[in-house]
Amino acid sequence: MDRDDPQNKKRISIREGLFTTPLVPVEQAKLIGSQCKDCSEISLGKRQTCSNCGGVNLEEIPLSRQGKLWTYTVIRHKPPGDYKGPDPFVPFGLGLVEIPEGIRVLSPIQCDLEGIKVGMDLELEVYPLYTDENKNEVLAFRFRPV
Amino acid sequence: MKEVAIIGVGIHKFGRFENKSYLELGQEAAQMALRDAHLEWKDVQMAYLSKMYLPATSGARIFKPLGATGIPICDIEAACASGGIALSQAVLGIQSGAFDIVMVLGTEKMPRGFMDPSMIYEKWQIQMGMDTNPSYWAMRARRHMYDYGTTDLQIAKVAFKNHKNSVHNPYAIYRKEFTIEEILNSPLVCDPIRLLEICAPNEGAAAVVLCPKDKAARYTNQPITIAACVPTNAYYSADFRAPLDSLSAKTANPGPTEVAGKKAYEQAGIGPKDINCFEVQDTDAFCEIEIYEQLGLCQAGEGGRLIDEGVTQIDGKYPVNMSGGLISKGEPIGASHLGQIFEIVMQLRGEAGQRQVPNAKVGLAHVLGAGNNCAVTIVKK
Repeated sequence: MDRDDPQNKKRISIREGLFTTPLVPVEQAKLIGSQCKDCSEISLGKRQTCSNCGGVNLEEIPLSRQGKLWTYTVIRHKPPGDYKGPDPFVPFGLGLVEIPEGIRVLSPIQCDLEGIKVGMDLELEVYPLYTDENKNEVLAFRFRPV
Repeated sequence: MKEVAIIGVGIHKFGRFENKSYLELGQEAAQMALRDAHLEWKDVQMAYLSKMYLPATSGARIFKPLGATGIPICDIEAACASGGIALSQAVLGIQSGAFDIVMVLGTEKMPRGFMDPSMIYEKWQIQMGMDTNPSYWAMRARRHMYDYGTTDLQIAKVAFKNHKNSVHNPYAIYRKEFTIEEILNSPLVCDPIRLLEICAPNEGAAAVVLCPKDKAARYTNQPITIAACVPTNAYYSADFRAPLDSLSAKTANPGPTEVAGKKAYEQAGIGPKDINCFEVQDTDAFCEIEIYEQLGLCQAGEGGRLIDEGVTQIDGKYPVNMSGGLISKGEPIGASHLGQIFEIVMQLRGEAGQRQVPNAKVGLAHVLGAGNNCAVTIVKK
């Protein structure tokens, strides 16, 4: 395998257990929810326990790629710490996106900030946020208008 | 259950003090509380330090120079609610009979600007830019506006009230009145929250000395009884504060303020109508509106009306943040709840000067912050 061939570049998730695999093609990747078999509540990503009922019988389910904006704000100043977004900073939306399975996911919202509003239809985008020190492409997520 | 009284209070102004260490800030407030209680450090049997950003063993470093008396010293951290958790531990210690004289000190010395995000967020949340603290309150505000029609003007009116109250508070960092226009024209920090509607982390200290109520007369002729001190952490689907990553859309639990408030009212055997003055967590102006609703000063969705009608002004039915609130005082996190208690004790003693609520007999203090830590304390004459 030629590691320098862009086709073979290794892609990793920004947080373990966040996306369905394989991560290629990235357009088909989905967020994972951990659904509790006892109370049916869902949390984002791979989990050991259900924070609603304490149950340990969890099932990983793929979350729909479509959702609706439940609430939002606009981040107008560069966030503190090791932010990996565009430099120089570009303001972006941040919101809770309601997914049909019954979970609201906190996510950056990539859209025209003049048009951002509660209830708008959004679609998941999994994309490379940065390249780490081992030359891995690190995948993050955001939502965009459909 | 044995009743517990506040027999002394102390404060170090909230602000920026480049030439003072956290040790001096804390020691000054502690000494002031001891003088107020007509006690000396050697009389204290247990001491709590409430803090978030100070280093390990800060409590021991602050207290031991007052006299290495061998007493237990415990540092407590629960983000913005640290002071409430520390106070509740002190109350339990006295109620159990283990201690008679307990000091609770809150002290903080924080860097300027945004707080270090790695204290609260995971690495991936920081890298994706989801670590701006005010954004969580801002998203609450936006949803409240959507659900109930709360307006930018109503949010600005809360900031107007608190800045106006602060002019008479010598312990606040900002003591300047702003017009509604100035507030609405100040830059957006996280939509819809603006610069003049938000509190800044800073430095300061506040302290209380407690003892069993039946012994309070030995130390003071103005004991203040702790009628309830209820710390809590949010239920599952109400876990809205940083570092949130997702929330249930299926289950609706009551928020931590509502839960702690109800329990505190129950313990005190009173309701919001019996309370004469409130100091609450105005991390930004919007959240004060939501707290009106969750503490039962009005129904859900009516918080905006309450500020429109002036109900929460010093001369209103439910005066809130007579001190100017955190928007004006700044928020030295570990010290903020003890600072609220200081203000209410001044009110109940009738010593609050131009911020005085006439004839105040019962007061409530509320804090809420990261990790969804929350506390409500009710005190009475």
